Amino acid sequence: MAACVASKWSMAVSRSLLGNLSSNNLGSLGKPQDLTSLGYNGLFFQQLRTFIQMRTKLKVVDNSGAKWVRCIQALKGRKGARLGDTIIASVQEAQPRGKVKKGEVVYGVVVRAAMPRGRCDGSEVKFDDNAVVLVNKQGEPIGTRVFGPVPHELRKKKHLKILTLAEHIA
Amino acid sequence: MRLEKCWFCSSTIYPGHGIQFVRNDAKIFRFCRSKCHKNFKMKRNPRKVKWTKAYRRLRGKDMTQDSTFEFERKRNRPERYDRNVTEETLKAIKKIDKIRVAREARHHSMRMKGKKAMERQAAAKELEQDIHLVKAPLALQEDPSLTLPKIKVKVSHPQAENQMEE
Repeated sequence: MAACVASKWSMAVSRSLLGNLSSNNLGSLGKPQDLTSLGYNGLFFQQLRTFIQMRTKLKVVDNSGAKWVRCIQALKGRKGARLGDTIIASVQEAQPRGKVKKGEVVYGVVVRAAMPRGRCDGSEVKFDDNAVVLVNKQGEPIGTRVFGPVPHELRKKKHLKILTLAEHIA
Repeated sequence: MRLEKCWFCSSTIYPGHGIQFVRNDAKIFRFCRSKCHKNFKMKRNPRKVKWTKAYRRLRGKDMTQDSTFEFERKRNRPERYDRNVTEETLKAIKKIDKIRVAREARHHSMRMKGKKAMERQAAAKELEQDIHLVKAPLALQEDPSLTLPKIKVKVSHPQAENQMEE
């Protein structure tokens, strides 16, 4: 797991390096394919997204008061949680007057994951970031609004309340 | 089941292929294969990438406006299943495809219309001006068959002059 986290961090670092590099190089070289001639392999273009596991930071996309949480445990799943799964998380940052406070241990449902998830028609979906909606033990959302797109997968997982609150179903 | 269009290259995405990327503003990007996906991640503009339909349509290389495109527009109301309608639709799809292909071929031939004449003109000009790139000028003088046929000019007293030079 430490190796996973380390590789993810190095990937993030390398991606940011590439971002800086490409912004410099495009000015001087003018062609993105010249980056490979400098010795960078294609690994930079493929950022491997993995599961949501312990110490994963997730954005909170409801109005329960929390800003972001850190995953403590992924329920169901040896390697980690994916799109639509429930996790146990610890609130890291919260708004001053909210339903949850900083340091609380809460349950959450992953509504957006950067890791591609296979759909039953064979295609894959992936989102831009990792986001979670806080729920209680019974699976009902604590907040009253959900921001951003949510996937269809929640219907199968019986998180219908979240689907009704969502503003866009992807 | 719905056949989607790839956001980058505008080809059809059949079921089981491709990746959907949902951005946080809820805009969905569908890609037919990883080539298009990687190009998108590189932030390339499809209107500038030569092999995409977007580029070709923008530069007038492919047909933009045609009545056959009206049949393919997206309809959001589901149609009630009617066997006859389905049968007719399948036949119509084949016919419309044939017509569209024929029109695209005609568009292409119209686009390439002056090509032969232009090529001949360019070749004649090259032969006239740039023959030194092909054969050395000295070789041309020695063997006159390599040059273009020159216009003959009558010179007075040709025999006397030639005998004197030799």
